[in-house]
Amino acid sequence: MAVAAVHAGGIADHIHPEPQGFVRRYVFSLDHKIIGIQYIITAFVFLMLSGLLAEVIRTQLLNPNGGFVASDTYNEVYSVHGSAMVWLVIIPMLTGGFGNLVFPVQIGARDVAFPWLNMLSFWIFPVSGLMLFSSFLMGAPTAGWMEYPPVSLQGAAGTSMWCAAIFLVGVSSTMTGINFVVTILKMRAPGMTFTRMPLFVWGQFATAPLLMIATTALAAALAALFIERQFGVPFYDPTKGGSPVMWQHMFWFYSHPAVYIMILPAFGIISEVLPTFSRKPIFGYKLIAFSSMAIALAGFMVWAHHMFTSGLAPFLQLPFMIITFVIGVPTGIKIFSWVATLWGGKIHFSTAMLFAIGFVGLFTIGGITGIFLAAVPFDLHVHGTYFIVGHIHYVLVGGSLMAIFAGMYYWFPKMSGRLLNETLGKIHFWLFFIGFNGTFIPMHWLGMLGMPREVATYDPQFAFWNRFETVASYLMTISILIFFVNALWSIRNGKRSGPNPWGARTLEWQIPSPPHYYNFKHIPTVYGLPYDFSQPLPYKGLDEELTDSPPPVAAGAH
Amino acid sequence: MSVASLARDAHGEVDQLYIETRELRLQGFLLFLVSDCVLFSSFIFAYLYLRNSGQGWPPPGIQRLDVAFAAWNSVVLFGSGATMHYALENFKHGKFMRYIWFLLATIVLGAGFLGGQVYEYNHLIFGEHVTWWGSGIFGASFFTLTGMHGLHVFLGVCYLTVLVLQSAAGVYTRGKFFGITAGTLYWHFVDVIWVVLFSIFYLL
Amino acid sequence: MAAIVFWYTFPLETYLPAAIVTARQVDTLFRFMSAAGSALYIFVAGYLIYFAVAFRARRTDPPDAIGVQIHDNPKLEFWWTLIPVLFVVLLSIVSVRIWYEILLEPENGLVVEAIGHQFYFSFRYPQINGEVTDEMHLPRGVPVTLNLTAADVIHGFWVPAMRLKNDTVPGLVTTIRFTPRLDGRYPIICTQFCGVLHSEMNKQVLVIEEKGAFDKWFKGWQQKNAHASNALPAAGGQAISLQGGNAADGQRLFSQKCEACHKVAPFDQKLVGPGLKGVLHDPAHPNLVNAQPATPPNVAAILQNGYTGSMGTMPNASANGLSAQDIANLVAFLATLK
Repeated sequence: MAVAAVHAGGIADHIHPEPQGFVRRYVFSLDHKIIGIQYIITAFVFLMLSGLLAEVIRTQLLNPNGGFVASDTYNEVYSVHGSAMVWLVIIPMLTGGFGNLVFPVQIGARDVAFPWLNMLSFWIFPVSGLMLFSSFLMGAPTAGWMEYPPVSLQGAAGTSMWCAAIFLVGVSSTMTGINFVVTILKMRAPGMTFTRMPLFVWGQFATAPLLMIATTALAAALAALFIERQFGVPFYDPTKGGSPVMWQHMFWFYSHPAVYIMILPAFGIISEVLPTFSRKPIFGYKLIAFSSMAIALAGFMVWAHHMFTSGLAPFLQLPFMIITFVIGVPTGIKIFSWVATLWGGKIHFSTAMLFAIGFVGLFTIGGITGIFLAAVPFDLHVHGTYFIVGHIHYVLVGGSLMAIFAGMYYWFPKMSGRLLNETLGKIHFWLFFIGFNGTFIPMHWLGMLGMPREVATYDPQFAFWNRFETVASYLMTISILIFFVNALWSIRNGKRSGPNPWGARTLEWQIPSPPHYYNFKHIPTVYGLPYDFSQPLPYKGLDEELTDSPPPVAAGAH
Repeated sequence: MSVASLARDAHGEVDQLYIETRELRLQGFLLFLVSDCVLFSSFIFAYLYLRNSGQGWPPPGIQRLDVAFAAWNSVVLFGSGATMHYALENFKHGKFMRYIWFLLATIVLGAGFLGGQVYEYNHLIFGEHVTWWGSGIFGASFFTLTGMHGLHVFLGVCYLTVLVLQSAAGVYTRGKFFGITAGTLYWHFVDVIWVVLFSIFYLL
Repeated sequence: MAAIVFWYTFPLETYLPAAIVTARQVDTLFRFMSAAGSALYIFVAGYLIYFAVAFRARRTDPPDAIGVQIHDNPKLEFWWTLIPVLFVVLLSIVSVRIWYEILLEPENGLVVEAIGHQFYFSFRYPQINGEVTDEMHLPRGVPVTLNLTAADVIHGFWVPAMRLKNDTVPGLVTTIRFTPRLDGRYPIICTQFCGVLHSEMNKQVLVIEEKGAFDKWFKGWQQKNAHASNALPAAGGQAISLQGGNAADGQRLFSQKCEACHKVAPFDQKLVGPGLKGVLHDPAHPNLVNAQPATPPNVAAILQNGYTGSMGTMPNASANGLSAQDIANLVAFLATLK
């Protein structure tokens, strides 16, 4: 595999003709970079819609007696909010979005293994999103993003639409997973062994098998729920012999790996941003790479820690508790490694770096509360309460979303050729950081004191902190709006970035911004890790990339 | 005799592009089969979980399965696996007509299996105890799993028919026949799934 | 250090009483984890902020200044792998111990049943007929075995003061065991989404009181429910009214819906289910499939709720398309089978 010579007419040399016309270039594009941008834009649209739903939730919770929307509407709102954030925002953004955008260039490839499949994967995504939001027109699902039967069997038609929509976006995910695994296994540039891959690629490599395997398990559960609701085929209805707890097993067997799908690529982004802006190598490269794979694997073994109160045999709680504790160790190792990366650095506080440092601080809180929850006796107290809501938002918003913003500020110039405005970026960061913590910290003690989750009204003793959280959440929303303004303005008017505004060392920064559709004129040879700033770049063959010379075999003559 | 030694482009040069593309497609197809396996495994888990929930098996009011008939039907399907294997081997050795005959035999046997399944379904639905998809957890698990499998067989038979037509039109050469390889892998996969399903429904 | 001391002495009980014996141990676990967690967090966040500040690029640095190019430090990595592993071991030991204490509560305590409905909990006590539908009372100091199930969908039975909850699952009986220790009135809160009024399912209370007061309350309910049936009530909480049942209509329903599985024949002549001749008259008739005696209310309850168990499945009223009046009619018809 690691042959330095250029293959005679192989994939690495094969540059197909440039696509012509607006539709071929930007709508039905086969180019992984365009597809990545399409994913990111679509996911941001769903972020806006779902964020709006979140503000409906928070506005309702201003008053203990609610009153902003009817109870049933509220139930629909938070159910679609959760479902959209997981399946239409975070997962597509981190895998289809940043994954597609960045890692093929980072491994020195021209595209992913199956570009046509990639395009199909993308187009399924907005369709399924429309399907999910259309459920509002027919009685959206009301039983949360988890839709436990038997109550989900009673739900309006929108629950069946939810099953179909998530099933479809799951198909898209599975295809992306297959695509990424094959790409990473087979299309790395000559010389790029596994131990010379950037950590963002490792993050995607750990995530892709989860996409492939776990998502299919969810598809089965959703299909069963759908046919039970529509055709009366009993899987989960206890009066017909089915088992409601079985849904939970099937659902969580997917959804626990899903949370790793939502964080492993984020870990990858942070592992790129921190070294670049500290001007020194990532600390503990091998351990970070290895622990990502370990987390992905172990993620399949802990699903029932979401089910400690579901009626499992008590002795089963123990192994799930212990393995969940154990997963904390590789996660902790990564956190320590990231902190150590800052030591002895020359740190530049670009907005991307602020979000990355913020990620480490906030994700750690979420990780620690996760360890709390793994302890069965504590979970028996706080399961199903706002403590859980606090925990999940710390890891998904303080974690994944912060990493997404870090990735946006980092790679926006690569994709558009222009920098995002740093002043607006810093306002975005600080407003977001303050608003976020204000919104989600109080949830931890509200949960412990007695506030359950998925409620439209609550005991008046919790009123002060709920109001506090709502006001803080408005700050978060404003900060995200500032980000959108920044992005839209900077596409036309941002300062030109050049190929490598950050002085970074991975391959994507050694080609123009934005890159040509064929990525590289000549596939480089790699002979080292990219992270050592005292060494010259560990690539050979990149001399022509930043010049005006044409690509070698443009018309695909063979 | 490897594909690599035979895959040549229009100039007679070793077609590196094809070889690498084929490697990618092979790996992608295998991963697709892995995820399909996970799909079946999830429903198999559901079946075993429900069956184990203490209601006695089969539940009352359910038509008994005809193990002997299903065993014969399984032989038909496994036979089609063998014929598919020989089809591919003959193609690789350049024996085109034998390849076509074995391929047609596979299609006939596969269709035969489907016919057998139709008969089995008939016996359940119109038998003494009406047993259909909604008939409790037996119906739910049996018809969902065998239905999914039958759908896979049906799609496989359609694909193999397309293969016959494509082969007759000369699409495949001894250096480029990934479509046939993929079809063979898929067909063996369908066989393996049936081994599991037969065991857990008819033998257990 | 300060964080550890703070959390270790944090009086959680002033905010939320510890109503049962194991609640205090859960609080101890929380304090231990908080102490360790905040120490860890201060360590991580502290170094994060300290390094960010101490190693920031100064304005006087040349633009191509780089940091110290170290890749790893095996000794450091060894320690920061080993210490978390040891901590995980410690945490496991502490958690398992407390988990075990909760598990070790006596199995033969006062057996009470809590049943989740849309949208309230009902309670069944030994020697009280029917159900208690408002407050749940328990005597202080007596170990309790609480069996949980549901009549319709999954609910979550949570008493924050107990630091303990479990889901109530239809078709399944789950159990929690505990010993009340502190008198008081403690809210019971549903923690598993169960439908449109889930947010309102938090109005009931658990009352822990000394034995004398409990006995008085108990006797009150015994008297109140003296004539109540022991059948599981229909979803919605009302036991089926059997008055006005029309036997002729019942016979018509029977031939439409029941004859597929039940014959009008002696008990041992099974089709799918047993023969129903004499079910409501024969004193020697065996108990119904759910082990209840064959009385009209119990028969009505099976018709309403169905039954799922080792003997098979009897579909419930919605599966059979039976209204409350249909059930009354069927019971009236069955009553004519002598």
